[in-house]
Order: sequence, then structure tokens, then C-alpha cells
Amino acid sequence: MRDMHLVMHGIAVKKYGTVEDISSVVGLAVETVKDHLDQAVTTGRVNEVNGKFMLTPIGQITLKSSYAKAYASHRDDPGFMAAYEEFEKVNTDLKQVITDWQTMKLGGQTVPNDHSDSGYDSKVIDRLGDLHERVETVLDRLSAKEPRLKIYKEKLLAALEKAEDGDIKWVSDASIESYHTVWFELHEDLLRIVGRNREE
Amino acid sequence: MQGEKLHGKWILSLDGSEVPDRNLIGGKAWSIAHMRSLDLPVPPAFVITTNACAQFRETGTMPDDLEAELQAGMAWLERQTGRRYGSGDKPLLVSVRSGAPISMPGMMDTILNLGINDETALALAAESGDDEFARDTYRRFYELYGEIVLKVPVPEVGADGDLQGWRSRIEAAADRRIPSDPLEQLKHTVEAVFRSWDSRRAKRYRKHHDISDDLGTAVVVQAMIFGNLDENSGTGVLFSRNPLTGEPQSYGEYLCRAQGEDVVSGKFTPCTLDDMRDSAPEAYGLLIEAAHKLEVANREVQDIEFTVQNGTLYLLQSRTAKRSPIAAVRTAVDMCREGEITVEEALQRVNSCQVRSMLSPRLKDGAADNAELLASGLGVSHGIGTGLVVTSADEAESLAQSGQDVVLATPTTSPDDVHGMLVARAVITEQGGSTSHAAVVGRALGLPSVVGCGSGTVTSLAGRVVTVDGEHGNVYAGALEVVQPCETEDGLLDTLLEWAREHSPLAVYRPEDAPEDTLDLDGLDDAADPENLPRLIEGVTGARGGAIASDEGVAAAMAAGLRYIVANPTLPPLLAAIHVLNQPKSH
Repeated sequence: MRDMHLVMHGIAVKKYGTVEDISSVVGLAVETVKDHLDQAVTTGRVNEVNGKFMLTPIGQITLKSSYAKAYASHRDDPGFMAAYEEFEKVNTDLKQVITDWQTMKLGGQTVPNDHSDSGYDSKVIDRLGDLHERVETVLDRLSAKEPRLKIYKEKLLAALEKAEDGDIKWVSDASIESYHTVWFELHEDLLRIVGRNREE
Repeated sequence: MQGEKLHGKWILSLDGSEVPDRNLIGGKAWSIAHMRSLDLPVPPAFVITTNACAQFRETGTMPDDLEAELQAGMAWLERQTGRRYGSGDKPLLVSVRSGAPISMPGMMDTILNLGINDETALALAAESGDDEFARDTYRRFYELYGEIVLKVPVPEVGADGDLQGWRSRIEAAADRRIPSDPLEQLKHTVEAVFRSWDSRRAKRYRKHHDISDDLGTAVVVQAMIFGNLDENSGTGVLFSRNPLTGEPQSYGEYLCRAQGEDVVSGKFTPCTLDDMRDSAPEAYGLLIEAAHKLEVANREVQDIEFTVQNGTLYLLQSRTAKRSPIAAVRTAVDMCREGEITVEEALQRVNSCQVRSMLSPRLKDGAADNAELLASGLGVSHGIGTGLVVTSADEAESLAQSGQDVVLATPTTSPDDVHGMLVARAVITEQGGSTSHAAVVGRALGLPSVVGCGSGTVTSLAGRVVTVDGEHGNVYAGALEVVQPCETEDGLLDTLLEWAREHSPLAVYRPEDAPEDTLDLDGLDDAADPENLPRLIEGVTGARGGAIASDEGVAAAMAAGLRYIVANPTLPPLLAAIHVLNQPKSH
């Protein structure tokens, strides 16, 4: 029961992911995830398209109604909730850093960052590194209560280090597990755990 | 007072009488000393040298005699400024920043307002007559100290405005105290700078770039200047030339009675420099003179941050200005014609991306004048996109698969919509600003995007064909005419083209001038990926098509010994070839 909830939660976080993607987010063995996916496809809660899985509308509703119970202990835990609020604070900073990655201020006007100035890019990646050090302390506290969240720290650092080594698509490219992609999934994961909606 | 110098074992004053070795004082201190040596006004500062850092790394503790020298340094700053550190009715506040000889990631950011505590905040409030300013100065120090030294997320100050409670919450999250004693603040911050030399990122960067760990960082301690003390104070930014258009007039903004962060934060709408000429005429004259002096000395367009305190001008920082693509082209051509730089340098200062951006498709002049403006919002991702408006990502995907150009319009976007954005020609949202999901993902995909058009937009646009201008944030009815600018019809690009042809090691022909036996890569598989080019072009004299005109393609062509390539436009590959020639061999 708990594993099925986790597998469906993993699909919701990835939106459209492979067995391996889902397994890495929820920390269950690939075989276990596969068994549950097969079962969920049979019961009409999950659809498979080209080897990737997504929730059906009925799957989304079932999942949503199961959160309150599954994460009641975290929602009642002031330590977990305080750490979550700190994450939201860093999230505001992250959005600004990603915006500064994509745009530059020129004499008071915003223009796209065409990434021709590697000095500017390095500074933004450096700010991302500063921010990463702050989110690490928050993730440590969240993972102490929900151990599977540890994976995000590893994934974020992996993306950050690739970006630091000069492969700049790892900052915000939407088609790979870039820093921003992983962050977005982490945020989605946390929102679902605490039962909040995303704010623009 | 001017002539007085500080020359200790660990600490040197940056008075401009000499410009010490960059390896000893680091890049930031070096540029302060350099500005002082040009006789430009800079806030008084001293530097703790890289020798102290080396000593710290060797022993793991601060050098014994450093504290005494720090006190002497602060006494020197007090004499220079006529203010007192940590006490008195005119409190001296300082900033502390790291400064390695080579700038690198992971080094500690600037901490402002050291010296502020409950007592000095009161004095500052009395001096400025502005309680809010004193509170904000206090808040900013603790915020920076929490985020940068203690590395914890700093919460917002609560609605009750209780700074003491807020400070306790930062200290609780970090499980460490933030010192109130100004000398302790200084010592802990300096130590944090030294520690940042051995942070994960700094170590990694040095290893990657083969830089010695023994180099060490210096620490700059500089008097804070306040632009909000009175009506004769203010702060601003000056560009020695216009960074948006490249026109040769200085360009900038000024905020009377404000601090530097106020300009950046967007809390206030800055005024033009004319305001400064009226309220601080003497400082204005010096500023324009300084901008010219710095541009000539550095042979580059300068971006200068400055503050005026009680009518006295201080330059905080001067660096090479970032420029829009057109400004990069115009300033390179102009400065060359003015004799400030050579043709070779002008060509080095423009890259192929900037030229391609100037040549990217845009609305035909006047096309928008008679068009019906259906919606407008914030343009967050440049470009022009035309298509049929659909209101869901799934609809976008199915229509796009059948070959229809679509524009996705939704109240907001979320990760659920990315598959629709991938196939759309443009994105429009009702809510959100420049950091919203649609803006962030739209830019990542290079997709023209207009956000925050207001509720009701989606319904009103659904099913219509529109043209989206992602730069200006406009949505027009119908498919407007889009034009492609030409490199030979633009006076600036034409000049650059002439120079580039003379200096390029690789000939680039326009398609109509192409020699007969040119290899056409468009007929070959895999030629769109530059990685495959070396294999495909081996042994030929000239090639066209595939990825040959990209920067990587040009590099491959030169490595393979091609005599020419064929492309349109020709200027981007010509510049790429010139840049390959001048690239340093390593990484």
C-alpha cells in the first residue's frame, strides 16, 4: 500500500518518466516499481506511452486524496514544516538566480543572456553554488525525517558540478536533469508532502 | 592625512601612492589602488594581504599579530573618514570582500555594514534623521552575515518588525552567534574569507584550472559611503557609452538620497543624470571626467558604480560594461574609428552570436503600426512567433503534429505544460512575471514568451491566429510580416564585414560566389552535428551546408585545412575564424 502510494507519487513528481526515473526519486528497487506500475496500469490509474508512465485523471485523484494520511506525521511535525518554509525562502532566491541566468540587466533594461560573456555566466553559477550550500543544510534536515529526499542533494550537486565544469546546459535546460529541472521536481515533491499549491 | 600610509606585516593601505603586486593584494584591491593612482576618488580602504591567508592555512589560526594590525588599520580608516568604528555620534561602517589574485567561484561574497550594532544604529539614525535607514542598515548586516558567513537561509523579518527576535531565529538556525562587538564582527568575517579559499567550489576550480592552492586570497576592508545622508547625497550607475544602443554619449541613472541597493532592487524609479547635475553639480562634473579617464585607461566601455555623500563623489567600482549585441558592434566600430583601439581589437570584441542576434528575424518596420493589438504583457523571451492560439498543452501537441503552427496561451504554465511548449511557436500567459515558470522555461527553450497579460486573455485569444513579439510583450492579430535583416545593408555590420574579410584566416563566400567544386554537406547524413565534420570534410578545399558555418564548424574547417567555406550571412563565420586564430591553446 505504502509502496504503491510512493510509486504513484514518483510519477506525479516526474510527470512523465521511465521506471528508472521513478525508482530514483522514490528510492524503491526497479523491480518493485515495475510490479506496482504493471498493477496500476491494469487498474487504470497509470498510462504507459513509449516506455514512460503518467497518471490518468483517476490516478491523480486517488493519489491526491492519499497524501493527507501518508504524510500526516510530517505535516504535524514543526521541525519538518520549519525546514520546508526555509526551502520556500531559498526557492525565491533560486527563481531569481535562474532569471539572472537567462536575462541580463543592461542600463536598467532586461535583455536575454546570450551566454557570450563567460564572466557573467561564471558569476551566476557561483551564486547558484552559494545557494546550493544554503539548500544543503535545509535538505539535510528534511532528509532526516524523509530519507528518500537525500537523492535530490546528490542530483543537484551532480548538475551543479557539470555546470561548474563549463557545460552550462546543466543550469536550466528543461530537457535534461539540469539544476533547475531537479529543483522543480524537488519543489513539486515537497509541495505534495506538505499539501500546498505552487505560487507563481 | 592624504599622505599617511599604512605598511604592516599583513596590512597595506590602498592610497594609490603605489600599486602593489596583484599576487600580494588580489584583484579587487589592485583595482582600487589603480583607481587611486589615477587620482580618482575611491572610499578609503586597506587590504589584508595573501600572506596572512597563507599563514592562516599553514597554522589553522589567525596570525597572532594580525589583530593589532587590524586595529591600526581601523584607526587609519577612522582618520581618513573622520568617523569612529563601533562608537561615537558618527559611526564608521565598513565592507569586507574577498579578493584573490585570480577571481574564482566559491569565494566569499561581500559583507556590508560591519560595525553596526544596537548602539551605532541609534547614532546612525540620529545622524541621518532616518530611523528606517538605520534599521535597514542593521537588518542588512545580519542578513548578509547569516547567509554568507553562517550559510543558512535567512527568514523574512516578521510583520511585528522585531529585529531582535529575527536575529535570534537566524542564530538558532545556524546554531551560532552573530557578534555585536564590531571588532569581533571584523575578525570573524576575515576568517570566513580565508576559509572560503578552501571551499569545495574554490578547490575544484583551482584543480580544474591548474592554479596553486598556495596562492591564497586577500581581504579588502573599505569604508562604507552613504548616499542617503541628505539631499546632497545619492547613488547611481554611469556607462561611458550607451550600453543598449552603443551611442557614444554617457548614459546612466541617479537616485537622490538613496543607497546602491535601492537602484538594484527596483524599489525606486531612478532618475536621469540630469537630476544629479542639478543637485550635485560638482560631483557630476568629476564623474563625467572620471568616466572618460577610465575608458581611456582601460580602452573599454566602462560601467561605473558611484555614490555621492554630502556632495562628495566616490567611485565604488568600474568594470567593462556589458552591452547589447548592437551596442557591442557599434562601440567596437566607433572606438576603432576614434583611434582608441585597433581593427584587430575591434574584431575581437564582437562575436558571431551578437551578429546573428542583430540579423535575427524581426517584425517588418511598420508592420505592427496598423495591426490590431490583442493583448500585451511582459516580454520575457525575445523573438517573433506566429500561430493559432490553443489553450492546452495537449491540444498544442496534437495540432503541431499535424503540421499546424500553434501559440500556447494558458493562465499560467507548470511542468505539465512543457510538452506543449516544446512544440509551440510562442507562449502567452495571463499571470506571472519575469521569474514565473513560463518565463524561465520559455527562455530555456528560446521560445518567444509574453507573460502577465491579465485574466481573460486566454478566452479572448483562443482560436485566433496571432503574432507574438516576445521582446516588447505584444500580441497582434493575424500573421504579421517578418523580415530578415541583411549584413550588407547595415552600415555598422558592413564596416565590420570589410575588416573581417581582411583579417580572417579562412575565406567565406556568399552562395552566389561559391566555387564549382564545393562539397555540399547538406546531402550527407550527420553533417548537422559539428562533431562529425572532421571526418566528412577531410581532404576537401571548400564546403557548404550542414554545421559548417557554426563556430564549431569553422574551427573544424580550419583544423582540416579548408581554404574556404560558403555561408550566408558571412560575417558570423568570419568572426569565428578570427577568434579561433587568437584563442589561447589551453582549454
